[in-house]
Amino acid sequence: MGKVIVVTSGKGGVGKTTSTANLGTALALLGKTVAVVDADVGLRNLDIVMGLESRIVYTSMDVIEKQCELSKALVRDRRVDGLMLLAASQKNNKDDIQPEQMKAICDKLRTTHDFVLVDSPAGIERGFSNASAGADEAIVVTTPDVSAIRDADRIIGLLQNARIEPINLVLNRFSPQLVGNGSMMDQADVLDILNIELIGVVPEDSGVITSTNRGIPLVYEDGSPGAQAYMRIARRLTGQRIPIHNFEQKGILNNILNWFTRKR
Amino acid sequence: MANSTVALRAYGDGLHLIIRPHLSISEVEAAIEQEITRMNRSLAGASVQIDLKSPTLKEEEIELLSSKLQQTYDLTVRGVEVADEPVLPPIAAAPTTHVISPTTDTRTSRDSEPSRIVAHTIRSGQTEEFPQGSLIIYGDVNSGSEVKAGGDIVVLGTLRGSAYAGMNGRLSAVIIAMDFAPLKLQIGNYVNRSSVSQEPRGYPEIARIGAEDVIIVEKFVKF
Ligand SMILES: Nc1ncnc2c1ncn2[C@@H]1O[C@H](COP(=O)(O)OP(=O)(O)OP(=O)(O)O)[C@@H](O)[C@H]1O
Ligand SMILES: [Mg+2]
Repeated sequence: MGKVIVVTSGKGGVGKTTSTANLGTALALLGKTVAVVDADVGLRNLDIVMGLESRIVYTSMDVIEKQCELSKALVRDRRVDGLMLLAASQKNNKDDIQPEQMKAICDKLRTTHDFVLVDSPAGIERGFSNASAGADEAIVVTTPDVSAIRDADRIIGLLQNARIEPINLVLNRFSPQLVGNGSMMDQADVLDILNIELIGVVPEDSGVITSTNRGIPLVYEDGSPGAQAYMRIARRLTGQRIPIHNFEQKGILNNILNWFTRKR
Repeated sequence: MANSTVALRAYGDGLHLIIRPHLSISEVEAAIEQEITRMNRSLAGASVQIDLKSPTLKEEEIELLSSKLQQTYDLTVRGVEVADEPVLPPIAAAPTTHVISPTTDTRTSRDSEPSRIVAHTIRSGQTEEFPQGSLIIYGDVNSGSEVKAGGDIVVLGTLRGSAYAGMNGRLSAVIIAMDFAPLKLQIGNYVNRSSVSQEPRGYPEIARIGAEDVIIVEKFVKF
């Protein structure tokens, strides 16, 4: 029996879809069977980020309306074994799906896959209820800014009320330089507020944008810091114990420079 | 303070008669007499501004009070103001809250009050309310959340959201947090938004209503 993990955030644009695509691919690269599910009905883009847009015939809506079997609606990623995508309908909206229907799909997928990752839309409304309906666990993605963190906090409260646990945190778009000069919250500050387990820190990486545009998840080219970060998170999801990479570690010279710039 | 219902103060723009929450108009009159006697000098011919710290006085009562001040003490009332800070607008805005004056408050003993323990962090969008007594939070009160209690609020973590103690009018209620960085504080009908540090100072702090009728925040040592 596989695990269903919802990838969510509250605030939009913090990297849910990027994280779902990269973690799904990374888990498959580690030999796991994975289904990634786009729950962003009406604003789907997981298919684009994964480069599978042109191959979609059916969506979860067709499965719910019994237009096709679930297995037929799954698009297989040909670049790696064991990775499938279930796309969201673009012409429907979030109210056209009931939470129980999403849960039924997730429950079915978990019988055939080790991991089911559900890409949640932003917000706390129906789209979120649908995405989290079938989830055992959650990954909350946030960026280190006050508004994203407050929204993440809101979502964590809702997930806890729904008895979804563990809830793991991905801190995305982290910039050691900005933390260094005092203009970005550091890891400890974020964790102090959100008070959940940190499963990984993904640095700001311009490679994310180019990979999104090309439809090739970053983890296929494992040289970049972002790719390595996602690979580490995937390993942690499979149960490996790897220490959290400390992007904040900097040389003595850097510290002194920061001390001076901060003073001014 | 000799007299908690009224206070006569000299400010830059002249005399102010501050009237705090009270039981009745006769209580106010008695308190004024006491305060003016205490001044021990004639105020004849002076003008005074009435600062209402409580919305409980009716318009006719204010009129009556003004003519009494004129007749008895030769004091001219030059204006009446309902202080916007730290007092809330009239009670109608918050129907569940009623204001009890400190003198009629019989539940000042926090020892006999019930309390509720909440053993988790209060997150954005969540409200924790306990009108019957005091709230003790074993966690943080995060920004965007709210805690409300009839009595005290004690946060054994960081207070980042808003806290409303003494929600039934108990003005002796206090708010204590290990790390104090609230968005908004309220005790009874006194509100404080601005003068609180947004950065925890690294020691526990306590908020209570101070002598000047504003919420003061200071290092918490013990009761
Ligand atoms: N680590 C990163 N470094 C640089 N850019 C990033 C990073 N993560 C995400 N981005 C960029 O941020 C944008 C939003 O990312 P993404 O679509 O994954 O967010 P989302 O949370 O799914 O958004 P939505 O709420 O709209 O669904 C994209 O342009 C993406 O390329
Ligand atoms: Mg998205």
